[in-house]
Amino acid sequence: MASNEQTPVLEVKGLQTSFFTPDGEVKAVDGVDFSVNSNETLGIVGESGSGKSITSLSVMRLIQHPGKIVGGTIELSGEDLLKKSKQQFAKYRGNRLSMIFQEPMTSLNPVFTVGSQIAEAVRIHKKLDKKAAWQEAVNMLKLVGIPAPEDRAKRYPHELSGGMRQRVMIAIALSCDPELLIADEPTTALDVTIQAQILELIKELQEKSGMAVLMITHDLGVIAETADKVVVMYAGEVVEQADVKTLFKRPLHPYTQGLMNAIPRHDIDLDELEMIPGTVPTPQNMPSGCRFAERCPYARDLCVEKHPELATPSNNVDEGITTGQTRCWIYTDEWDGPNPTKGVATNQ
Amino acid sequence: MHIFILRRLLQLIPVLFGVTLVAFLIIQLVPGDVAQVMAGEAASEAQLEQMRENLGLNDPLVVQYGRFLGDLIMFDLGESVRTGQPVMDIIAPRFIITVELALWGMVVAVSVGLFFGILSATYRNTIRDYGTMTLAVVGLSMPNFWLGLLLIYWFSIQLGVLPTSGWGTWQQVIMPAITMGTAGAAVIARMTRSSMLEVIDQDYVRTARAKGVSERFVVYKHAFRNALIPVVTVIGLQFGYFLSGAVLTENVFAINGLGRLVVDAISQRDFPVVQGAVIVLAITFVFVNFLVDIAYRVLNKRIDLN
Repeated sequence: MASNEQTPVLEVKGLQTSFFTPDGEVKAVDGVDFSVNSNETLGIVGESGSGKSITSLSVMRLIQHPGKIVGGTIELSGEDLLKKSKQQFAKYRGNRLSMIFQEPMTSLNPVFTVGSQIAEAVRIHKKLDKKAAWQEAVNMLKLVGIPAPEDRAKRYPHELSGGMRQRVMIAIALSCDPELLIADEPTTALDVTIQAQILELIKELQEKSGMAVLMITHDLGVIAETADKVVVMYAGEVVEQADVKTLFKRPLHPYTQGLMNAIPRHDIDLDELEMIPGTVPTPQNMPSGCRFAERCPYARDLCVEKHPELATPSNNVDEGITTGQTRCWIYTDEWDGPNPTKGVATNQ
Repeated sequence: MHIFILRRLLQLIPVLFGVTLVAFLIIQLVPGDVAQVMAGEAASEAQLEQMRENLGLNDPLVVQYGRFLGDLIMFDLGESVRTGQPVMDIIAPRFIITVELALWGMVVAVSVGLFFGILSATYRNTIRDYGTMTLAVVGLSMPNFWLGLLLIYWFSIQLGVLPTSGWGTWQQVIMPAITMGTAGAAVIARMTRSSMLEVIDQDYVRTARAKGVSERFVVYKHAFRNALIPVVTVIGLQFGYFLSGAVLTENVFAINGLGRLVVDAISQRDFPVVQGAVIVLAITFVFVNFLVDIAYRVLNKRIDLN
């Protein structure tokens, strides 16, 4: 791997991605920072509309018109990807960084065999001849655990199941040994049993290659299972950031707490599923204060008026407890009084 | 695949029967006495009887149709009532010219149509897109005989670089091919554009980009191969229209194709020739559609063979 301990594989700073609609600029991602090291998995969690998918597509520079990256830097092992020309960046895509998508059913081209779709990536980046690339494709199918790979390579996508297709997608993504794999909801469209297999496979392949993984999901279960570090996104911003153990032990932000309470539990009797009332504010009418204030049970005037910064808590945290960073007034010196969330989320 | 082709071939049989039946009835359905119509007012009763005898019009319909089919299988389409030549011999050379003309028209229609369709889709909602689509509407709305006349005026009369009529040399091919192909190019361009736009936002196109495929290959390989599927159908239909629509172009450029032959035969009431031409054109049309089906199947792996 090209990276060392000082340089993260991926470092995103102040990323801003907007969509320019007839009604004006819509800020889908508004100043997001995070970094991933090699052999590490960063989970990005958030509900629909939080900007997590746009963030991942921005890293791949796959944002389509009318969307545009308007600010920030994206560095891959120290190289600023946003400064590369289209042609230069195409050499990195699928080679040094690659991506798998949510929809394995539609993510493969229906008119080409799966083998040729893997071989294509190999031919582009490794400059192998047709035969060698095909052999490499068969090897990749074998690596991702597809039985009878020689035969399957000649099949068309519609002849394979969803789980198999996602394995093929992983084979394409990993065929050139990327430093970074972005997995955008890789298991959402799959059966539960297949989900576990796919996550296990990604983990296994990561252990072999040492690549960094960016796991985008709305599912905290997936985060708990795969991630080392977690970024919680809400309405285009990071609202909490911590390593996975810390996050699950002591979620700080009321939104994170809400997400955790919304996970159905089997160990205690509950009549109703917990949920967070309301929806993510639309980018057209983004609140000027805390973006979660409208849905937050603890919101005060302060929250509605002033926009909080992502920071390490300086208030309302017990001595000796390690925390990550959060974007909430409760944990700042400006918050008057005790922590209203105390005890709320400790049931996790 | 072989079974698919065989099945499609078998399905052609009833269609071909229908075609021959309609063509056969052309003569029977002429109002009044066919022999009289063909021979003209001045013919004597003996001449009419002779003609009925020659055409077998005195036999029962079923017998006539049976004989007609039997002859057809032997590639015998009867004789012209004007010249007495076998219809097959009259039609064959003219048919080849019309097919050539239609094929050259297709070359223009497909190359121009696909090029501008893809251009338009990749630059959607830009000046290039609007320009191309405006041109397409113009091409579609312009009667092709008028386009032919304009071309003759510019290239033959004003510039004097191309011959006004005839068929055989490459100079004689250019203007008729453009005349024939323009409307088809417009239809294909519009179809290609909408089909490309449908495909270009698909997940697998994004996957291709994510693999590092260059934008050119994303468009021409990944998107185009899928967008082509509905376009092939339109191309096949266009070829059929070209065969039957050739008559106008042939007249404008004085090309001795099948279209002109049919028009002449109709005005001379030479029904066996009309009948023969209809059958040849219809069978060609059916056969082209059969080829389109096969192409469709080759392009679209998802078509269920059953």
